[in-house]
Amino acid sequence: MTATPPEWAEALLRLVLDRDHADSVSGDLLEEYRATVHPARGQSRADRWYVMQTFGYVARSAGFWAAIFGGAFVARTSLDWLAPTDDFHVRSAVSTSIGVGTLMVAGLWAGWRSSRFAAGTLAGLATAGFGAVVSIVGAVALLAVAHDPGTMAAIRGSGGLAEVFTLPLMLLLPGAIVGTVAGVAGAAVRRVLSPGSPSPTINP
Amino acid sequence: MADILGAFEQAVLLAIVRLGEDAYGRAVLKEVQVRLDRDVAAGAVHATLDRLENKGLVGSRLGSGTPIRSGRPRRFYRLRPRGFRALNETRAAVESLWRGLDWPLGEST
Repeated sequence: MTATPPEWAEALLRLVLDRDHADSVSGDLLEEYRATVHPARGQSRADRWYVMQTFGYVARSAGFWAAIFGGAFVARTSLDWLAPTDDFHVRSAVSTSIGVGTLMVAGLWAGWRSSRFAAGTLAGLATAGFGAVVSIVGAVALLAVAHDPGTMAAIRGSGGLAEVFTLPLMLLLPGAIVGTVAGVAGAAVRRVLSPGSPSPTINP
Repeated sequence: MADILGAFEQAVLLAIVRLGEDAYGRAVLKEVQVRLDRDVAAGAVHATLDRLENKGLVGSRLGSGTPIRSGRPRRFYRLRPRGFRALNETRAAVESLWRGLDWPLGEST
């Protein structure tokens, strides 16, 4: 019987690969899985290896956008804590624009690369998810450095700590939605400008 | 301006040189793992190959698939003139940095 990695991981992998490289790259991973990893480690550990490799591709594809997304959130938090204001309109408009813009570009890029709209969903989700980790770690680091009474008052005045740690996680769904919309656009543009559909998963 | 390569880029390019006609993705991955003597993520190698190709240092062509790959094609890589130049310039730069120093370095150096 031919060893086969988890189908969902295979599908996920294809979403983050360039359309023109998807078959050769997934073929390399499949060959390594069947020729080296599966015989040496067995089914469940080989599957775990395949999943971890796939997550590596996902992290690489979303890392840049997540750094911008999370970085913008940390910058906004720093500004609110260290330079308090009563009027948050401008700050909100700027940080929201950066966040939505980043998700849109990430989704567009992903949709373009793979020629699949679902790539935009994954890009939006991964950007918001990894970005949330950056945001939370950044906020914890900031809190470790600045926690004097003045800063703590500024934190309370800008929504409190709970908002800082929960808001990034609440952006996962909007991230997926914005990424999907942008992914549809990116995939459509790629298909119009460079015809040829993405190759389907080749089953053993 | 000279292309000064990072260590991982050098490892990937030198793997392609060593493998010659057999330099496809998985073979490059295995060669890099052996030479660096550590586990290397396939994604790191593919991302580097992608970047080197975009920079014009390597070229690629699709080859045939095999049953173990479920028929998926292999992508074979070869160095382009700019890739050879970048490797030579990087080696020259490193040798220039080390010239006049004993190796290995000790605390008394």
